[in-house]
Amino acid sequence: MVKMAENTKKAGQKRRVSQAVVIGAGIAGMQASLDIADKGFRAILVEREPTIGGHMAQLDKTFPTLDCSSCILTPKMVEVGNHPNIDLMTYSEVIDIRGEIGHFHVTIRKKPRYVDVRTCTACGLCAEACVHQGRIPNEFDMGIGKRAAAFIPFPQAVPQTYVIDPNHCLMLTRGKCGKEPKCQKVCSINAIDFTQQEETITVRTGVIVVATGYDQFDPTLKPEYGYGRYENVLSGIEFERLCSASGPTKGKIMVNGKEPKRVAFIQCVGSRDKTVGNEYCSRVCCMYTVKHAHLVREHIPDARITVWYMDIRAFGKGYEEFYDRVQRENIHFRRGNPSEVYQRGGSLVVRGEDTILGEPCEEEVDLVVLATGLVARKDAGEIGKMLGLSRTPDGFFEEAQTEETISTPRAGVFLAGCCQSPKDIPDTVAQASAAAALSCICLAKGGG
Amino acid sequence: MKVGVYVCHCGINIADHVDVEAVKNFAENHPQVAVARNYTYMCSDPGQDLIVHDIEEYQLDRIVVAACTPTMHEATFRNTLSKSGLNPYCLEIANIREQCSWVHSDQTRASEKAKELVSAAIAKALLLEPLEEREVQVRRSALVIGAGIAGLQSALDIADSGFEVFLVEKDPSLGGRMAQLNKTYPTMTTTEDFISLKMKDVEKHPNIELLTYSEIVAVEGYVGNFTVAVRKKPRYITPFKCSSCGQCEEICPVRVPNEFNLGLDRRPAIYLPFPQAIPHCYVIDPDACLYLTRGECGRCIEGCPSGAIDFTQEETERTIDAGTIVVATGFEPFDARLKPEFGYDRYERVITGLELERLLSPSGPTDGNLPAYWGEPESIIFIQCVGSRDKTVGNEYCSRICCMYTAKQAHLLREKFPGSRITVCYIDVRAFGKGCEEFYERVQKTGVIYRKGIPSEIYKRGDKLIVKAEDSLAGELYEEETDLVVLATGLTPAREADKLRNLLKLNRTPDRFFMEAHPKLRPLDTAIDGIYLSGTCQGPKEIADTVAHAHGTASRATIPLFQGKVKVEPVTASIDTEICSGCGLCEDVCEYQALKMDAYRGHMAVNPALCKGCGACHSVCPVKAIAVKQFKTEQVLVQIEMMA
Repeated sequence: MVKMAENTKKAGQKRRVSQAVVIGAGIAGMQASLDIADKGFRAILVEREPTIGGHMAQLDKTFPTLDCSSCILTPKMVEVGNHPNIDLMTYSEVIDIRGEIGHFHVTIRKKPRYVDVRTCTACGLCAEACVHQGRIPNEFDMGIGKRAAAFIPFPQAVPQTYVIDPNHCLMLTRGKCGKEPKCQKVCSINAIDFTQQEETITVRTGVIVVATGYDQFDPTLKPEYGYGRYENVLSGIEFERLCSASGPTKGKIMVNGKEPKRVAFIQCVGSRDKTVGNEYCSRVCCMYTVKHAHLVREHIPDARITVWYMDIRAFGKGYEEFYDRVQRENIHFRRGNPSEVYQRGGSLVVRGEDTILGEPCEEEVDLVVLATGLVARKDAGEIGKMLGLSRTPDGFFEEAQTEETISTPRAGVFLAGCCQSPKDIPDTVAQASAAAALSCICLAKGGG
Repeated sequence: MKVGVYVCHCGINIADHVDVEAVKNFAENHPQVAVARNYTYMCSDPGQDLIVHDIEEYQLDRIVVAACTPTMHEATFRNTLSKSGLNPYCLEIANIREQCSWVHSDQTRASEKAKELVSAAIAKALLLEPLEEREVQVRRSALVIGAGIAGLQSALDIADSGFEVFLVEKDPSLGGRMAQLNKTYPTMTTTEDFISLKMKDVEKHPNIELLTYSEIVAVEGYVGNFTVAVRKKPRYITPFKCSSCGQCEEICPVRVPNEFNLGLDRRPAIYLPFPQAIPHCYVIDPDACLYLTRGECGRCIEGCPSGAIDFTQEETERTIDAGTIVVATGFEPFDARLKPEFGYDRYERVITGLELERLLSPSGPTDGNLPAYWGEPESIIFIQCVGSRDKTVGNEYCSRICCMYTAKQAHLLREKFPGSRITVCYIDVRAFGKGCEEFYERVQKTGVIYRKGIPSEIYKRGDKLIVKAEDSLAGELYEEETDLVVLATGLTPAREADKLRNLLKLNRTPDRFFMEAHPKLRPLDTAIDGIYLSGTCQGPKEIADTVAHAHGTASRATIPLFQGKVKVEPVTASIDTEICSGCGLCEDVCEYQALKMDAYRGHMAVNPALCKGCGACHSVCPVKAIAVKQFKTEQVLVQIEMMA
């Protein structure tokens, strides 16, 4: 195990043998791992993506305090990366789980990065040299920005290591890239290694924390809003990247090279909507939209901003106060769920019924932002099967009972964060610490 | 003194906009710089090895690393220094990435700025003093204040982790507010089952010591070593003798409003708070008992078959040593009298949500029914947001649970009274929890009418109540006759919270709930190390979120207990005792209670275990007797001079 770890260890540190496997390294998995590790137990943190950080790393600001998301998250990422009790396994997936509490065997498949984690200094020369540089849609920026085949998801990624995209790299797809791969040529420390192979390892663990997070609702399932048809209809996370100072537009809200002067936000896209099979409320969209509206006001002071809503659910600490503040920033909250977005001339038209005024209305805008909801991971079914977890009708993992949202019917398996149900960051962090508490009780009793 | 300067390229992050070679050459010319280097990645192992090697080779005393922000790698380089035997605090970071290359595009000017940053760092490095990192031992026990569901769950988790827990509750029984509830939404499970089980688990847990009917009166110390004075009120009953037979209750001639049932019925002066109370022991109300107030009566003494009654009991005080403290003081329902337009204290049939909980509870004052003489109501109206989202009563916040408990109660009344017209007046329906939207939908389908708009007034016409409101969706004013009005009263901080806040020196957010260390990433910690928040004392939350919060708090509160020791921040304030006049201004601004007057010596003293090195004291000291190590006036001024 120690060999597999990507983070540096302090020598001579005493360790207990008990360990936990944490699946998913978004904010929930990170917090759970940190709490477990801080108590002196080992945490093996398995993340499917090349970096830890999850969705929170993609966010621009956080409501209601407008803290910069990556400014508060990245120090935590560094802490995870440097923690002597955390074994980080990024770009890795859990493929099999056997056993029971105290004696789980977890099999993990580690994908080849084609870059040596220990020597790569993330200097970035490989990406500069890559023939695909600036051509491949960057997933982290929701495809708005472009990257090379050799890439780092974002500058503060942990581990600070590049990865080579096997679906685009010419060496990996065709076995040949010019006379010799330019990335290898420029890498003075020979960190690039095209011979790397997939590895499969099995680890023993006492408990498992499931922190696999959520997927964004696919807005093409609501064709009436024209997502995918019109370039100026964006999803919630796309808009986050557009606002972010480290995003593809360096924080300028620009659509087709122009600053939008008329912006409409539509709430509950994919939430509270039985037509797409999601009856539940996604819990965060009201507040992130209130935040988005505020950001537009800040970036474009003369913009006309409308928020279409059903109920504003500003329930968290300081949320109602923030909503009140944003309402006073000359932002029009209109009750009603628009029926359609269509194009007229160079503009989009949002058509809906204002249920307070009791009249149908149409509004011409330059940009529509859909408050896309949170849905269960598309592979939640498979992961659930592997873990022996059932799911509630909303697709999220089922907790032990209404009052106990962390435990599951399977002893030794705990839930943290949005894999159990949508939640905002503080609720996610609280639940992650909770999963750590229950894990460590098992481990302290010799469950590991 | 010899300084080594290391300029990082950070790949292309710095090198693209800053001429790192030129910065290195510039540093090299400084008279006290023995060696300067630039390297692609100083934080990498080979980069760190350069520093280790040079410290030995050149006998360096101070190290300057010009790289990214210190939040990123200061810890890394401090370790590097330690490895070479140099004090880790002999390091200064010049941030030439976030504060230079990332924010400038003109290479010439960015390079000049980088040079200035480096020269400022060298100047400061020369004035740095080695600091000592200390550790303090942690007592492996925790104090939990409040035994509602949050306190119970936190106490159980800490105890299950193997640590001793002192659970202090001001009331005679465990259980808190949750014990008063009837059903849990959205699954309509019986609340009592869950809370009773937790209470029993706590009672029989070998690691938990219960201190009910007790209050915190003094708190001293710091993380790992808190000393807490607890005052226990007399029950006037000897617990091990009391068999809870209840004979005393029948003999007692006094009847006063029963607080557990919110005054909906009356209890004797000697009473069991509620049937499942733990400890399962009677208690005598000193304000109601005739023997205690007037010195007469005493009938219960004769009536008690086991001789458990003891009027000689007195208040006792004891001291508890705890490594960490969990605050779980809960909430108080909003006082509906503060909204006089709803007539709560004028009309009997205007009741609060919690009162309806007691009425609907099978163990409540009416065995789970509305009072029989009220008859079957033709119409019931629920009013949401009473005391929430309401600046007129000073509560701007949302109480988070009222929408759903109203939906639950509407559902229960719909089952009881299929023929009644049930209306919910709301602003927004906030059905955000797992399964809640689905439940809300289900309630709507059973014919509960939701009308947007909060009523402006309730008054009486004949024996009917009239609710006057605007339906903001229909856009019309209406008046409706009704037989019962239920006010969805919000949550406010517990009354005792304020006293405790002063003892623990906790901060509050503008909503008056306790303030967490960070609203996003540290919702369970407070600004004070070793003190944590559990449940609704931090802000309103429903049962499921409270339980999750409580588990989480237990995790945070056991970290120091598992570690057995905590590191003490070496960058703290220090006092020049020659200059300090003991005026105490610094004590007032210190958020961490780290400054105290040393009365014997006549000057202020810093408790390094509490001090966070924030520097607030330094800025208010009229004679500049306080300085923060690493940020002393001369150390800061010399940096400014170099940048000027």
